[in-house]
Amino acid sequence: MKKIKVGLGTCGISAGGQLVFEKFKEELKLKNIDAELSETGCMGMCYEEALVEIEDDKNDVLYSKVTVDKVGRIINDHLINGNPVNDWIIKSNEFSKEESFFKNQKRIVLRNCGVINPSSIDEYIANDGYKAIQKVIEKYTRDEVIDIIINSGLRGRGGGGFSTGLKWKFAKSTQSDKKYVICNADEGDPGAFMDRSVLEGDPHSVLEGMMIAAYAIGADEGFIYCRAEYPLAIKRLRNALNQCRSRGLLGEKIFGSHFNFDIKIKEGAGAFVCGEETALMSSIEGKRGVPKLRPPFPAQKGLWGKPTNINNVETYANVPWIILNGLQEFAAMGTEKSKGTKVFALAGKVKRTGLVEVPMGMTINEIIFDVGGGIKDNRKFKAVQMGGPSGGCIPASMGDLKIDYDEITKTGAIMGSGGLIILDDTTCMVDLAKYFLNFTQLESCGKCTFCRIGTKRMLEILERITDGNGKERDLFLLEDLAQKIKMASLCGLGQTAPNPVLTTLKYFREEYEAHIFDKKCPAHNCPSLITYHIVLEYCKGCGVCIKACPTGSITGNKKEIPVLNESLCIKCGKCYDACKLDAIIKV
Amino acid sequence: MEQINITINGKEIITSPGKTILEVVNENKIDEIPTLCHDNRLEHFTSCFLCVVEIEGMNKLVPSCSTMIQNGMKILTHSKTVVESRKTALELLMSNHYADCIGPCKNNCPAGVDAQTYIALISMGKYEEALKLVKENNPLPLSIGRVCVRDCETACRRNIIDEPVAVNALKRFIADEDAVHKWKPVLKERKNKKVAVIGGGPSGLSCAYYLTIEGYSVTIFEKLPKLGGMLRYGIPEYRLPKKILDTEINWILSLGVEVKTNVELGIDFSIKDLLRSGYDSVFIGVGAHKASKLGLDGEDRIYGIFRGIDFLREITLSYIPQLHGKVIVVGGGNTAIDAARTALRCGAEEVKIVYRRSIHEMPANHEEIEAAQKEGIEILFLTNPKSIIADNNKLKAIECLKMELVEGKPGERPKPVPKAGSEFIIDCDFLIGAIGQAVDTGFVKFDNDCSLEKWGTVHVDNDTMETSIPGVFAGGDVVTGPLTAIMSIAQGKKAAKSIMGYFQTGHVNKSSTKYYSLKNKLTKITDREFEHVKKLAREKMKEISVTDRTHNFQEVELGFSETQCQFEAGRCLECGCSEYSDCQLRKYCDEYNIDISEFVGETKKYLVDGRHPFILMDPNKCINCGRCVRTCAEVLKVSALGFVYRGFKSVVKPAMEKALSDTNCIGCGNCIDACPTGAISEKYPFKILGTLPKENNETICNFCSIGCKINLKKINDEIFYVANTTDSIKNSHNDGFLCSKGRFGYRYLLEKNRILNPMVRKHGLIYNVKIDEALPYVELKLKSIIDEYGKDSVAIMASPKLSNEELYLLQKFARVGLNNNNISSFSNMLYGFEQNSLDDIAGFTSSTVTMDEIKNADVIVVINSNLSDENLVMELKIKAAQKKGAKLILINSSEISLAKYADLWIDTKKGTNTILINNLIKRCIADNVVDHHFLSRHQTDVNKLQKELAETKEEDIYRYCELDKEKYSEFLNCLTNINANIIFISNLDSTSDKSINDIKSVGNFLHLTGRIGKPDNGIIILREFNNSVGFSEMGSSPGYLPGYVKQSEVNEIKRISETWNIDLTNIFVDTDLARKLRRGEIKAILIFGEDPLIIRNNKKYFSGIEFMVVCDSFHTDTTAEADVILPAATYIEQSGSFTRCDNIVQLAPRIISGLHDYENWSIIVKLARYFSKEFNFNSVDEIMNEIRRVNRYYKYGGINKSWIKEYFNNGYNQQVINFAATKIDLSTFDPVKPVIHYQENYYFSNVKSKLV
Repeated sequence: MKKIKVGLGTCGISAGGQLVFEKFKEELKLKNIDAELSETGCMGMCYEEALVEIEDDKNDVLYSKVTVDKVGRIINDHLINGNPVNDWIIKSNEFSKEESFFKNQKRIVLRNCGVINPSSIDEYIANDGYKAIQKVIEKYTRDEVIDIIINSGLRGRGGGGFSTGLKWKFAKSTQSDKKYVICNADEGDPGAFMDRSVLEGDPHSVLEGMMIAAYAIGADEGFIYCRAEYPLAIKRLRNALNQCRSRGLLGEKIFGSHFNFDIKIKEGAGAFVCGEETALMSSIEGKRGVPKLRPPFPAQKGLWGKPTNINNVETYANVPWIILNGLQEFAAMGTEKSKGTKVFALAGKVKRTGLVEVPMGMTINEIIFDVGGGIKDNRKFKAVQMGGPSGGCIPASMGDLKIDYDEITKTGAIMGSGGLIILDDTTCMVDLAKYFLNFTQLESCGKCTFCRIGTKRMLEILERITDGNGKERDLFLLEDLAQKIKMASLCGLGQTAPNPVLTTLKYFREEYEAHIFDKKCPAHNCPSLITYHIVLEYCKGCGVCIKACPTGSITGNKKEIPVLNESLCIKCGKCYDACKLDAIIKV
Repeated sequence: MEQINITINGKEIITSPGKTILEVVNENKIDEIPTLCHDNRLEHFTSCFLCVVEIEGMNKLVPSCSTMIQNGMKILTHSKTVVESRKTALELLMSNHYADCIGPCKNNCPAGVDAQTYIALISMGKYEEALKLVKENNPLPLSIGRVCVRDCETACRRNIIDEPVAVNALKRFIADEDAVHKWKPVLKERKNKKVAVIGGGPSGLSCAYYLTIEGYSVTIFEKLPKLGGMLRYGIPEYRLPKKILDTEINWILSLGVEVKTNVELGIDFSIKDLLRSGYDSVFIGVGAHKASKLGLDGEDRIYGIFRGIDFLREITLSYIPQLHGKVIVVGGGNTAIDAARTALRCGAEEVKIVYRRSIHEMPANHEEIEAAQKEGIEILFLTNPKSIIADNNKLKAIECLKMELVEGKPGERPKPVPKAGSEFIIDCDFLIGAIGQAVDTGFVKFDNDCSLEKWGTVHVDNDTMETSIPGVFAGGDVVTGPLTAIMSIAQGKKAAKSIMGYFQTGHVNKSSTKYYSLKNKLTKITDREFEHVKKLAREKMKEISVTDRTHNFQEVELGFSETQCQFEAGRCLECGCSEYSDCQLRKYCDEYNIDISEFVGETKKYLVDGRHPFILMDPNKCINCGRCVRTCAEVLKVSALGFVYRGFKSVVKPAMEKALSDTNCIGCGNCIDACPTGAISEKYPFKILGTLPKENNETICNFCSIGCKINLKKINDEIFYVANTTDSIKNSHNDGFLCSKGRFGYRYLLEKNRILNPMVRKHGLIYNVKIDEALPYVELKLKSIIDEYGKDSVAIMASPKLSNEELYLLQKFARVGLNNNNISSFSNMLYGFEQNSLDDIAGFTSSTVTMDEIKNADVIVVINSNLSDENLVMELKIKAAQKKGAKLILINSSEISLAKYADLWIDTKKGTNTILINNLIKRCIADNVVDHHFLSRHQTDVNKLQKELAETKEEDIYRYCELDKEKYSEFLNCLTNINANIIFISNLDSTSDKSINDIKSVGNFLHLTGRIGKPDNGIIILREFNNSVGFSEMGSSPGYLPGYVKQSEVNEIKRISETWNIDLTNIFVDTDLARKLRRGEIKAILIFGEDPLIIRNNKKYFSGIEFMVVCDSFHTDTTAEADVILPAATYIEQSGSFTRCDNIVQLAPRIISGLHDYENWSIIVKLARYFSKEFNFNSVDEIMNEIRRVNRYYKYGGINKSWIKEYFNNGYNQQVINFAATKIDLSTFDPVKPVIHYQENYYFSNVKSKLV
C-alpha cells in the first residue's frame, strides 16, 4: 500500500501544506484510492515546502513545492497510473536534486523528523521509541546513566555547552525530598527554529530524554517551558503527554519500577529572557521572569528552591539515541571536545534555508556551501552570524573554522542554540549589530543597570553612527560600554548582549570607520548614508521607477531619462528594486 | 565550625562560611561599598551593580551583595576596574533620571542661592529662616533684592506655564522685613589671620562677610569715599536708595570689618605693600568703572557728551546736574536704561535710547525696559550713531544709521550691520554713551605681578579665584569684566572659601563640585508635563505712578505686601527634590564624580502621581532597585507595587498601573523608607525644604504598645517628619518598619490648635494666666473642696499615653498628696476589660515573653486581635517568623485581614473561644501533654482545674463554636506538641472579637504546659495605648500600687508606705471610681491628657464636678469645659520613658524645645508639693530612680531591657500559681438563642478607638 506523508511542521503549514493535506484526503476519498495519508514533521528543506513524500515498497519519492493545484496530477499520474511526476520530484531512489543537502548531514536529533507521524506514539515506538528509557530502568543504575552521558561528551545544546552529564551529576548529588527536571523550550533567538521543529516533528524523543534525566537525578516531576508562540509544538506535546500517560509511560511505577514521573507544560509569554534558566524558573513559579545570581545553581537550588535539572529540547532529544546506540558511537562523531551532531537553522542569504543536522567538526564553509548550497544570487559570502543576539559574526575569512564549542567561543561568537544567519556583501555590519542589540535591548528584563540602560545607550550610539552622526569617540564608547556590560550583568542576556557589536567591531571595524569618518555605508544599506542615482547609459526611460517612487521624487516623461530629486527622496529603495536594467544605483 | 580564609584588599580575614562578600567587608569595616538595591532586611536582589568587586582570576566583576565568600578568594573592593564600573553604572542610572535634585533657580543662580527652599520657608511664614538661608550665599539681599538680573527667574520652570515666580521680589520682602536686622550670624572664634580686601563693592563685601563670620580679620580698602561699589556708584537712587544700601553695608561692617576709604590700589598702595605690612592674604575686588568710548569723532571734545557710568557715579559722588532739552542715550544694557531714566529725573524734556539691535537682544532687564518706556523714554532699535553734529563745540544732533541683523555664529547673538544709505539725523542737547565698561587695571603695571587676561581682566583659577600671586585672590568685575552684582557676590564668597582653605592647609584646594541631576541636562522640557498645573498670573509689584516719579529720585518699586508674597510663594512648582539631603544616589554621584554627558539619550518621562493621600510616586526618579517592591511583597506581603514593562521601559508602578490608593496598598509608607532616591516620597504636610540640613532623632512611636522606634527628622522646632532611614533604626526591634499611624501620625504634632498658655475660667470667662498664677489657684480650689467634701472628693485621671514618670507622679499625687485612691484613666475605667486575667497565674497581667522571641516560635496563635489595623508591626514580625517556618493560627470569628496569611484560621462563633481553649486544655491533660517538672516547682492544683473542666465537652466545639472537625483536629495537632515553641498574641484592648475568660484559659494552657517563663514561649499582651503597660506598672489604677501590688499583699504595701512616708493601709482600699463619679461623689477632677467628653455620654460622670482641671497639649472637648487648663508638652518636647507591650522600658528624649519652658512632670511636682513634701524631684531621672526603688520588678530590668527575663530566672520561683477559673455559662451561646453581637463596652471602645 502506498503511503503519503505531508510535511506539516510550521514551515510546511505556512507553505500551504495543510491545504495540500486536505486536498489529498478529499481526492483519495473521491477517487477511492487505497493509500495511507499521514502527516509528518519538518524534513529540513523549509525552502522547498510544501513537501509530499509518497512511499511504496519500491520507491520513495519526494515532491517539493506542492500546491493544491498539483495534487490532482500527482494522484492521477503517480498513484493511479504509477508514473511519478518527474518535473516536481526533488528526491527519489534514483536521483536527488539536492543530494549535497542530505549527503553531508547526520541526523540523530532529527532522526524521526519528517519520517514519522509526530501525533502517533505507535510510530515513535516502532522506531525504537521508549526503548532507551526501558533499557535505562531495567539495566542501569542512576550513576551508570550519568556516567554514560558524561562519557558520551554530550554538551548542552542550548548554547552554554556545559557537560550534560555533569549537570545531572550535580542535581543527583544534592540531597532533597523533591527534585525537578525542566525542558527549556523557550527558543527565542531571531531566526532559530531548531527546537520548534523537533517538538513538532518528534515530541516523544524529548519526553523520553526528560524521563531518562528524571530517572538519573531522582526527580518525579518535570516541566516543559515552551513559548506560547509555538501552538503546534504545544498541541503535539500535549497529545504526546496524554499518549504516554495512557500507556503508563508517565505516571507511577513506570515499566513496573519504582520510578514515578510526570510532566507538565508551562507556556511562556514570549519573553526572551525567560530562556535564561533562573528567569525561566521564576516564570514557572508564577513570578516576573527575572534572572537571579548564580550560584546557587539550579542543581543546588532551583525551582521552588529544590534541585532542578534544566536542559534544552535538542539536548534531551540526543539522550535516547545515545542510550540505544552507545556512547562510543556518539563520541565518535565530532572534535576532541565537542561530540555528536549539531542542529542548525540556516537562514539569511543562503540558497537552502532550513534545518540541518551536521556532525561536530564540520567547517562553516562546508555547512554553507555543501549543505546550504551556497550564497543566494551567487553574491559574495561576507560573514555568518552565529548564536543569535548573544552570539557574534564570524567573517568569511574564517570559513574553515570547525564547528566546535571552544573554537567558536574563541572568535567572540558562541555556538548558541543553532541559529546560523548567512550574510552577503549587501549586509551592513553596523546595521546588523544594531539589529541584534535592538533585540536584546527590548528583551532585557530591565533588572540590571548595565543591561537596562547600557544596551540602550549602545544602541543609540549605533543609531547615531548609521544615521551619519557618528563621532570618533563613539568607537571607544561602544567598546568601553560593551566591556562594562559584559563584566557587570547578572545573567547571560546582559553578559552576551554586546557580542554582536564586539565581533563586528573586531572583524569589520573599517565599516564602522567608514560610517563615522567618510559618512559612507560600504554595503550601501544605511539610508542616511546613501543616495540613489540614475545611470544614464543604462536607463531606457521605461518609467517604472517613476511609478515605484512613493514620494514623487522621480519625475520625467516616457522615453526620456527621468530626474531624481534628492531632497524629496526618502531612500526607501523602491525604485532600485523596480528597475530591471540596474540603471539605478546606490552611492 | 569550618572557617573560611579570604583576602580582601590584601588583608587576610578568617570568618565563617555562608556570608556574602558585602557582609564580610562591612563586618570588618574594610571599605564602604556602595549599593542602592541592597537592604539587609530583604532577600538579595542584585540589580544596581554598584557593589561590584573584583575577584582575582575571574574575568568579570561580581556583585558583592549576593556573592558568597569561598575559601581562598582574593577580593579587591576598590580597584580601578571596580571604580570605573561603578562610575559608569551611576552615569547610566543618571542618564535616565529625569528629575531635578535642586530647583533650576538655585542651579542658575551664580551664587547658588536656594530660592526654592527660601520660598518654601516664606510660605510657612518663616521669614527670618528664609533670610538666613539667603545670607548663606548672598549677604546683600536688601540690595540684590532690588537690582538683581534674576538668573533664577530665567530658569524658573513656571516660564513654560505662564510667568516665572517673582523670586527676587520675595527675597526683597524678607530682606525688608528684616531691615532692622534682628538677625546676626554667630561669629566663630577669632583667628589670628588678616585679610585685605581691595574694593568695597559686592564682591569685596561678600568676601569680607564670609571671612569675618569665620573669625578672620578683614580690612576693606576703597578708593571712593563710601563702600558699595557699583551698587552705590552705578545704580541710581530710584532703583536702590542709598539709605537701604547703607543699612546693609553697615550691618556687615558691624560684624567687625575695618574700612579704609579714599585709598586706591596702584596709587596709594600695592599688593606687595599689603603682604609686607602683615596681611596674610589679599582679595582684589575692584570694579569696572572705566567707561567705553563711543568711538565717534569729537566725543571727548564736544560739550554735552557724557559716558553712562561716569554720569551715574558723578550724581552719587557730587551733585545732580541740571539737564534740559533732548537727551540721547546710546546702548542697550542696564546702564543705558539707568542713564536714560536718570537723565529724565535730571530735567531732560525728552530722552531717547539708541540701540543697534532689537528688543530681543537687549541685555537690560525686561522690567527696566518697560519702566523706561512707561516713563516716556523712546527706544530706537536697530539704530547706531554714525557721527556727532556740533556747532562750535556744542552738541546739536547726531547722525544715525539704521541697522540690519544678520545671523551670527551658532550660539551667538545676531550681528547688526548698517543699512547703506539709511542715515538720518536726531537733534539732541546731550548725548550719553553707555555701551560698556572696563576694568582699570593700571594697578597691575604698578605692581607688575599679577597676570592679566586678553581682555584686560585679572587672570584667576576659576575654581579657586586665586591669581598668579600665591595668597592673592580676585573676584567680581575685575575678573569677569563688567558683569552682574550676584556674580561678584558669588566670586567673593568663593574666594573667601579658598582663602580659608589657604589658611588652614597652606595651599588652595579646588572645591569639589556637587553633582545635580537636572531635567534640562537630559532633554528638552515640554509643556506637556505641566498640563495639570493651573495658570496663575505673577504678582505685580506696586510702584509709584509715572507722574510722581519722573522728576525725583524716590524708589520706584515698592515691594510686595505679605499677602502678595504668600500668593507668589504659592506659585512655586517645587522642582527640587524633597529627598535631596538623604538621597543615596546623589551621594554616590558626588563620590564617584560622575559625568553623564556621554550618555545623554532617550529619557523616560512619567507624570508624578500624587493621588495617594500620603505617598508621592515619581517614577522619573526610579532606578529599578526594587526595594519598595520587595518590601511590599516580602515584608508586608501586600504587593501593591510591582515592575511593569521590560528593558529600558521597565519601571516600578502600583499594581496594574492603577493609582496606588486603588490597589491593596495599606498606606504603611514603608516603601518611602525603602526608596534610596526620591522616587517614592512622602507627601509632606509642608513645602519641600530639600537642601536644608536635617537632624536625625531617634524616639519611640506613641500610637500603640509595640513601641516602635521611629526617627524624627527635624529641620527645626516646627518642621519635622518621620523617616526610618538610619542604620540603627533598621536594626531596632521593629526593623525600621512602621504602620501608617507610626509613619504619618506625627502630623498631629504639627497641628496648630495647641494650648499656648495656662487658662483660668472665672465667672464663665476664660483668662490667660501665668503658670505661677494657675497652680496656686488650683491649690486653693482643691483645698477648699477637700475642706468641704472630704479627701475622697478629688480624683485624678491620667492618660495611658503619658510617660512612666508622669503616671508615677500622678498616682503618688493622689495617694500621698490627696490621700485617696482615686487614680485611674477614663479609657481603662470605662472600657478596660479583663485587665487582671493573668494576675492569679503570673502575678501580673502582662506579656510573659518578649517580641524578639517571636522569630523562634513554631506556632503563633493570634487571638482577640486585629493586628493589621491595630498593631501592624506585630503582624510583620509574625510574617517574618512564618518565613522561618512558624505556623500562624488565627482565632477570630470574623474574617479580618490576617485571616489570609494564617496557616489555620479558627473561625469560632463569637464569644466561644474559651470553650475551644478549655477543650484544648482537657485534651492536654488527657494526653498527658503537661509539663510536670514546671508544675512541680510551683504550688498549683491541677486536680482543681480538671474538676472545673469536667463539664467541658468536645462536642461543644462543634455545637457552640460551630467549628468543623478537620480544623479542630489540626488545631489540636499544632498545639498538643509539648516540644513546640508556642506564643500567643492577644490585644487586651482590641475591638476585635473577644469572649469572656479566654485570656485566662490561655493562661491556664500556657501554665499547664510549662510555657510561662520558658524562652520562646508564652503570651504577648498588646495594649491600645503606647504606655498602657507603664500605666499598670506605675500603679495608676485603684487596684494596684506600682509593681502590680494588690490589696492582698500586705508586706509590699508596707514597704511602699515606708518609702513614701505615709501609711497606705487606709488609702489603698477598694475603690469603684466609676460609681463615685456617676453618683456625683467626686467634686473636683484633674484630667491629664484625656478627652472623655469627646463622647457625650460620658457627661454622666461629671454630674458632681464643681472644679475641673485639664492638662493637655491640644484644645479638646474636655478642655472646653475645664475651669483651669494647663498646657502640656507633647512627648517630643520633653523626655520620659514608656513601657512597651513586652515590658521593656524605652526612653523618649526631648527632641524639640517646645512651646513651654517647663516639662509636664514639673507641673505635677509643683502642684503635689502644695499637698505633701514627698515630691522632692528635680529631674525625670530622679523620678525614675524612685520608680526603680518602689516597683518590685524593676530591680530585674532596666532601660531597653525586659525585667521579665530576669524575673522568670530569679524571683518567679516563689510565685504561687493558681489556675484561673474559666467556667462559662453556655446557655448564652445556645444555637437556638439569638447571638449577642456586641456588648455595650465593645461598642464604645470601638467608637472611641476610631475617634481618638
